[in-house]
Amino acid sequence: MIMFGLRVNPVTRRRWSRFRSLRRGYWSALLLGALIALSLVAELLINNRALIVHYQDHWYFPTYADVMPGTTFGQDYAYETDYKALRRQFAAEGGGNWVLMPPIPYSPFETDLRADQFPPLPPSLEGRHLLGTDTTGRDILARLVYGFRTAIGFSLLLLVLEYGIGVGIGCLMGFWGGGFDLGFQRIIEVWSNIPTLYVIMIVASIVPPGFWTLLLIMAAFGWTSMTWYMRTATYKEKARDYVMAARAIGAGGGRIVLRHILPNTVSTVVTFIPFSIAAGIAALSALDYLGFGLPPPTPSWGELLKQGTDNLESLWIVSSVVVAMTLVLTLVTFIGEAIREAFDPKVQIHYE
Amino acid sequence: MNNRALGRLLGWMLGAAAILIVGLHGAQAQPPQLPADLHWQTNDSDPIFADPAAQRGGRFRSFMQSFPPTLRLVGPDANSGFVSYLRQNNLALVNMHPDTLNPIPELATHWAFDPDGKTVYFKLDPEARWSDGVPVTADDYLFTLEFMRSKYIVAPWYNNYYTEIITGVVKYDDHTIAVREASAKPPNELLFDVAISPTPRHFHKLDEHWVEDYNWRIEPNTGPYAIDSIRKGKYVEFKRKADWWGNDKKYFRYRFNPDYIRIKVIRDLNIAYNYFSKGELDSFPLVMPRLWYQKAQGSPYEHGYIGKIKFYNDVPQPVLGMFLNEDDPILADRNVRYALAHAMNFDKVLTTVLRGDYERKQTQNEGYGDYTNRTIRARPFDLQKADEYLNKAGWTRRGPDGIRVKDGQRLSLRISYSSDDHTPRLVVLKEEARKAGIELNLQLLDATAAYKQVMEKKHQIAWMGWQGGGIAPTYWEFYHSVNAHKPQTNNITNTDNKAMDEKIIAYRDATDKATRVRLAHELEQMVFDDGAYIPSYKIPYTREGFWRWLKMPPQHATRSSDLVFDPMGATGGLFWIDEEEKSRVQKARITGESFEPINIVDERWRVRP
Repeated sequence: MIMFGLRVNPVTRRRWSRFRSLRRGYWSALLLGALIALSLVAELLINNRALIVHYQDHWYFPTYADVMPGTTFGQDYAYETDYKALRRQFAAEGGGNWVLMPPIPYSPFETDLRADQFPPLPPSLEGRHLLGTDTTGRDILARLVYGFRTAIGFSLLLLVLEYGIGVGIGCLMGFWGGGFDLGFQRIIEVWSNIPTLYVIMIVASIVPPGFWTLLLIMAAFGWTSMTWYMRTATYKEKARDYVMAARAIGAGGGRIVLRHILPNTVSTVVTFIPFSIAAGIAALSALDYLGFGLPPPTPSWGELLKQGTDNLESLWIVSSVVVAMTLVLTLVTFIGEAIREAFDPKVQIHYE
Repeated sequence: MNNRALGRLLGWMLGAAAILIVGLHGAQAQPPQLPADLHWQTNDSDPIFADPAAQRGGRFRSFMQSFPPTLRLVGPDANSGFVSYLRQNNLALVNMHPDTLNPIPELATHWAFDPDGKTVYFKLDPEARWSDGVPVTADDYLFTLEFMRSKYIVAPWYNNYYTEIITGVVKYDDHTIAVREASAKPPNELLFDVAISPTPRHFHKLDEHWVEDYNWRIEPNTGPYAIDSIRKGKYVEFKRKADWWGNDKKYFRYRFNPDYIRIKVIRDLNIAYNYFSKGELDSFPLVMPRLWYQKAQGSPYEHGYIGKIKFYNDVPQPVLGMFLNEDDPILADRNVRYALAHAMNFDKVLTTVLRGDYERKQTQNEGYGDYTNRTIRARPFDLQKADEYLNKAGWTRRGPDGIRVKDGQRLSLRISYSSDDHTPRLVVLKEEARKAGIELNLQLLDATAAYKQVMEKKHQIAWMGWQGGGIAPTYWEFYHSVNAHKPQTNNITNTDNKAMDEKIIAYRDATDKATRVRLAHELEQMVFDDGAYIPSYKIPYTREGFWRWLKMPPQHATRSSDLVFDPMGATGGLFWIDEEEKSRVQKARITGESFEPINIVDERWRVRP
């Protein structure tokens, strides 16, 4: 069978069809995939830059372009065009000029402050703030969506780094065994006892962490747990007849690990992935909540949660972020459960 | 409130680095002889500022956000927020009348000036007693000098101050002393400078173990309250001394009314507010717009159980704003500094996120009476001007992201700050500065890291404040070039200007007030022309919430009050607890009965621009 252009073996095919049959997990996966896909093109949906400007028979697409100063459209200022004002102006003038704004015409950094109302503003359809604004007057929906993109991106990158290191080292520990295994076990025991949160706090008090520093610190301390599973799985596989057979026909260590052992242990890894993603999102939010995360004004769920709990009178702040977080973490958990069940060897193997 | 406390803390700590080294004139060897022709002064003619109707009794409950790391007044960790309660009970020789700003007696009844302009003589109040009943005598002032100069207290700032600034204390008899300062000053400034506090000689044993041995010992004091009980990590409770020696002194009468002051540890401001709204705390500072408008609303206020007061005061304003580091290659250009000032939309910050509650600060030193230069106006938000100055500085092109570039470098500046509550203000400034083609990167650091960065002069823009104080503004530590380009001094802008140096020295050396006022005005103009300080805002009032049972004098508080419901200190202790009213309110809370809501706005001391 060929799936996604890859040749897949029958076991994987069985797992996939089993996963599809678990409706809750399958639909969760589709929904989460759709959310991620939408967040990747968030600029087209939630942005203060226009999608299309038609001005003096020229077409402009500001979304992904360089900043277009107001002078481009006949305004008297050199800073970035205020497209919402431009749209009102063109509409009032009539004529052939027009502006198409995204459905939510606010960027996550834009402060929508009015002289007669003070932030945070409650949700309103009329002001196009579907979830209201935060204490600085920024649109909460925009910050939620862009914050989600940051969180999920962070979490996926963290996953790749942690699993890359963890699987690699764990596999080698199992395959080589002996002194290497013993030595690394001790190193990991020591390393995993360093409290990550404190390290991040200490680092954050000296240099304010950015996206990449935070990612590297968390990956540096997060890879250890994966090694134990991989080590055990590799030990088990190494003793199997097929490895012996491969060795007998002269396969080298690298080939055995990469072509034979890894594909057979991957099921262990896969079942952990969704939970690691959830943990990554939660960890980043927790750090942001405590103020040790991404520097302001980066949109982030933790920062919104902090604002929400500090301003419980403005219930729309805390409720939107809590609902969003619960939704995403629940989806991820459903997917995780379904994957775990789909990969459950008890269903696949028939003992005779 | 927090910002102020932090500013005060920083002020104290930074002061350490800013002391002029002056030649030391040690105590003379000849036997002390009081000059014969001294003109003794006192002040018993100013009006009292307390209310004769005040009732003594009850327990006032307040809070602090962390438990003090020590009960010492000096030494390691002594600069926590709690220490102000201890300092307020550690009276000085004289103090300032909070309304008239004249000197009034405290531990000294009379004072006289020496013609040298550096020395003041004091007649001590023979009735003054320590908490343990021991009389306060001249020896306790001599001991202050010995104590503060001791290396055992591990307090370099005090070591330095009591060596280089306060140069000597002379005892003439048990109740007559003289205190000398290093340099001559106008009389009023000198008087408050040399009005030191005594230290109980009978209590301290100075040796290398002093710091540990005295960490949790309760030092006898001269003020109305002494620590009565402590539960570590939970609360500290002060008790009113029943037979306090100052009870019947003119300016102490009818003050310090609650019998007990309990300061509870509540680590989170929002939780502390909940305590207050449930009646577990008696008053609560509501200066922040978020608290005043969003939290302090609803039924207890409408029913009149909790009142609100906005009290305008007239005190030296803290120096809040942006301090630009002139050693930074971008900010070294004066035009960039001017442009930056014109790119900061403080008006928008003030009218939106701050709800029109704070006022724009115009210049560095405000609230110093005649010394304040009122002609200076802060540079307004003006993109046209910002554009002109930036073009003049060579930042003419804008990059693809709308930020200006010059020789491949973006006009991107880092602004360091330490309070998350200020993030909304800076976010607005950042968004507006983009219009001028300037990028501001917000760097939120914790207080210690921010302090360290600024002290090492590694900042580009520091968003911070200095606590104001004293009678006249000071310039030497902030702008003299001897403090520039080196760590651990208060010249955090690295201002290095020879003309200014000369004027600063002339200002310091001038002894008559007219000259000093003129020089202060000229210096203030130079600070403006230099452009390294961008004034932000000032808060010319205090706002508090209080339960109905707290009663105030008709004038509510004083011109110098930082806090209306301040239980201690030179401006405090004016309110009292009405126990009958308290039981009425408590009953009404159950029955749902209402009172007239209390909303007081007192503008008596408001300074109109």
